[in-house]
Amino acid sequence: MDEILRMMVPLLEGCRVTVAIFAVTLCLSIPLGLLLALARLSDIKPLNRAVEFYNWIMRGTPLMLQLLFVYFALPTFGIRLPDVTSALLAFVLNYAAYFAEIFRAGIQSIPKGQYEAAKTLGFTYVQTMRRIIVPQMIKRVLPPIGNETITLVKDTSLVYVLAMNDLLRAARTIVQREFDMTPFFIAGCFYLVMTFVVTRVFNWLEKHYARYEE
Amino acid sequence: MNESIIRMENVKKSFGELEVLKGITLELGRGEVVAIIGPSGSGKSTLLRCLNRLEVVNGGSIAIEEEYLVKDGEYADALKSRKICGKMGMVFQQFNLFPHMTVLENLLEAPLIVKKQSREEVMPVALELLSKVGLGDKADVYPNQLSGGQQQRVAIARALAMNPDIMLFDEPTSSLDPELTGEVLKTMRNLADGNMTMVVVTHEMGFAREVAQKVIFMADGIVQEQGTPDAIFDNPKNERLQVFLQSILR
Repeated sequence: MDEILRMMVPLLEGCRVTVAIFAVTLCLSIPLGLLLALARLSDIKPLNRAVEFYNWIMRGTPLMLQLLFVYFALPTFGIRLPDVTSALLAFVLNYAAYFAEIFRAGIQSIPKGQYEAAKTLGFTYVQTMRRIIVPQMIKRVLPPIGNETITLVKDTSLVYVLAMNDLLRAARTIVQREFDMTPFFIAGCFYLVMTFVVTRVFNWLEKHYARYEE
Repeated sequence: MNESIIRMENVKKSFGELEVLKGITLELGRGEVVAIIGPSGSGKSTLLRCLNRLEVVNGGSIAIEEEYLVKDGEYADALKSRKICGKMGMVFQQFNLFPHMTVLENLLEAPLIVKKQSREEVMPVALELLSKVGLGDKADVYPNQLSGGQQQRVAIARALAMNPDIMLFDEPTSSLDPELTGEVLKTMRNLADGNMTMVVVTHEMGFAREVAQKVIFMADGIVQEQGTPDAIFDNPKNERLQVFLQSILR
């Protein structure tokens, strides 16, 4: 029992790193994803071509490769970032692309009549998006956004290649040192708890948005 | 007829190769109720949608209250165009209520956000409009909990909340069950009695006949005949109109 309690300290510390990467990535990539989606749908051709290209790169190469690129390749171009910043940069840029495509599909699914009604009532484009389109879009994209968010919980473990002490790396360190597999089980349980919480939050959100039907 | 409130001169509109409006010239006076009738595909909805710039015309002029929205195919600048279009409210065939807002919020939204009025200012107006369309008890429900006829009445109230000078109706009863059209037509009739200028694209010949002061018959992208309801329905001169009336009044 003492043994397990002793393991808990580094594992909980690892959890903190994992949760921090998760939370910061989510908070930054969702707004960025929304901006990318709006840019992708804009009338400005070069802009939506650029976003299309960006999404292709970000969704078309492994996140691991992107992490390694930011961490190892950027310094050769003279861009040196702290470890944590490198990891977060790669995560945010990658996840924003996925969120952008989900938001784009959601926005495009809102009927044309909503835009027309807003226009005849005098709404500007920004007002229409902010008050009419995006709020309705959120309800429709909750399930795929929930999926991505759960994936993100687990993808945070990729930072172990950058020698950051997240939950998985903390567990592996103990396993390698003590030839005891328990930390893997504990880490697994921690991931399950985290994804459980995320699932519950999304269930609550879906229930909240079920107050109206379309 | 007194002062001209809507004037269209030689308005043209094409969708690609298809010429939908082939030069429409019309003049409507303040307080007039005008019904636009005609077979489907005749361009009547497009005509209505050109008035508030939901469709961009390819040529001609449109003036609302003597201000040009578009003159010889050239649109006024964005600010002026927004101001002109703001004088018109619109009611759609598909209602297009905002489903994520309650009935009351649907009415408050545009005055609060677009006109930046205060809640205290708008609230009594919105509640009065709701009771005027007979839905005073539905303020806090969501649109989809209402029947089609009730939704359309909310849509009318929502447009009125912006205090328009002109109301445009694009087949307001066409997607309603027959037993629900009556309540919407009654609301529109009350509006007409209150001297609202109304342009109504409709298949309801009864409404066109009893409420409208002027009926416009369109076919093939042109105004074939216009006149008082009596002249149009009892004494049609245009051959297309005669055929049209025969096919619907049979």
